[in-house]
Amino acid sequence: MRRVKAFIISYLILMGLWLILTGFYYDELIVGSVTAILVSLVFSNKLVILGDFRINPKSLYCSVRYIFVFLIELIKSSIDVAGRVLSPTLPINPGIVKVRTKLKSGIGRTILANSITLTPGTMTVEIRDEFLYIHWIDIKTDDIDTATEAIVSKFERHLEVIFG
Amino acid sequence: MIKYLLTFLALLGIGYMFFPLVMEFSTPTRLNPLAEAYVSSSVNDLNMPNVVTAIVVSYRGLDTLGEVTVLFLATAGVGFLLRKRNHEAIFRRQGSEILRIGASFLAPLIIVFGVYIFTHGHLSPGGGFQGGVVMASGILLMVLACKEFSFSHNLIHFVESLSGVGYVLMALTGLLLIGFDSFLDPRFLPKGEWLSLFSSGAVPIIYSLIGLKVGSELSSVIDSMQTGGEK
Repeated sequence: MRRVKAFIISYLILMGLWLILTGFYYDELIVGSVTAILVSLVFSNKLVILGDFRINPKSLYCSVRYIFVFLIELIKSSIDVAGRVLSPTLPINPGIVKVRTKLKSGIGRTILANSITLTPGTMTVEIRDEFLYIHWIDIKTDDIDTATEAIVSKFERHLEVIFG
Repeated sequence: MIKYLLTFLALLGIGYMFFPLVMEFSTPTRLNPLAEAYVSSSVNDLNMPNVVTAIVVSYRGLDTLGEVTVLFLATAGVGFLLRKRNHEAIFRRQGSEILRIGASFLAPLIIVFGVYIFTHGHLSPGGGFQGGVVMASGILLMVLACKEFSFSHNLIHFVESLSGVGYVLMALTGLLLIGFDSFLDPRFLPKGEWLSLFSSGAVPIIYSLIGLKVGSELSSVIDSMQTGGEK
């Protein structure tokens, strides 16, 4: 069941890429479908990770919301880092902190790690079991729970609903 | 001092040598007859917007067939030389979870992009060789990111042989259907609509076969580097 779901999702993603590249024509649809089905089949062992995506109204709502949550975090932290760079005293206190994630699914953890990396100021260095090691431009605390609350929670809340 | 003088003289001599080239250079205002024939017949006979593809696949198709053969020999040679014969297993640390999952997600997208490039060789820049290399880069990404990744050798060899045979069959079909001087003539399939995917006769099919062949050949080179340590 999980494999079938993963196959359908990967087909839709690959077909979406094809249609972005070509445009919506009859013959493009045929060739694109054949390509997407073949590639999904050949990579089915690897793409099975996509099966973690939950398809229900709540998860779809959270996916859309996650994009906005992420964009707002991106802008906020960009302004924060830009302020640090421009201020003459250079108020940085860099270092690596350990945080905890509740996410179980691989793709959810990857998206979480990449979201943390993409927001300026924080960068995921390593992921090991339930712990993420994050390089932080201004360490406010080295306590696991407080750091988790500061960096991970805002993303994790939504990802938990989408991927579990 | 004398060294600088000699350098100056040498530069002056080179300048004198190239002076006529630069002076007599003028931008040609019209194409030469051969180029004109290519340009007009690629549009009129083959209904193909991309003149370069028309030349590579159709007018100089025999050269391309040779090039594919050269590439095959080159990859066979590279595979033979790079296959390590010693038995030491190469120690590779498992990539992190982010790397593996990111690569698994990206590789299929890269391969679909490669397929897009070679199926649209007759409409847009790119074609079989470029698309094949893009496909192989997707495989390379997987090989680098996932330690345990291995693709089916049979599948790769099957695709490689099938596309090679298909290419030659396409060439011979032109010969059979049109006439005895039309080896590699793609006009045995309908011309199709201008700028649509199924147009320009058999060119998209031929270029797709070239793309598959190049992609599978380069993938097998990557694979021979990967499995060097064993056996």
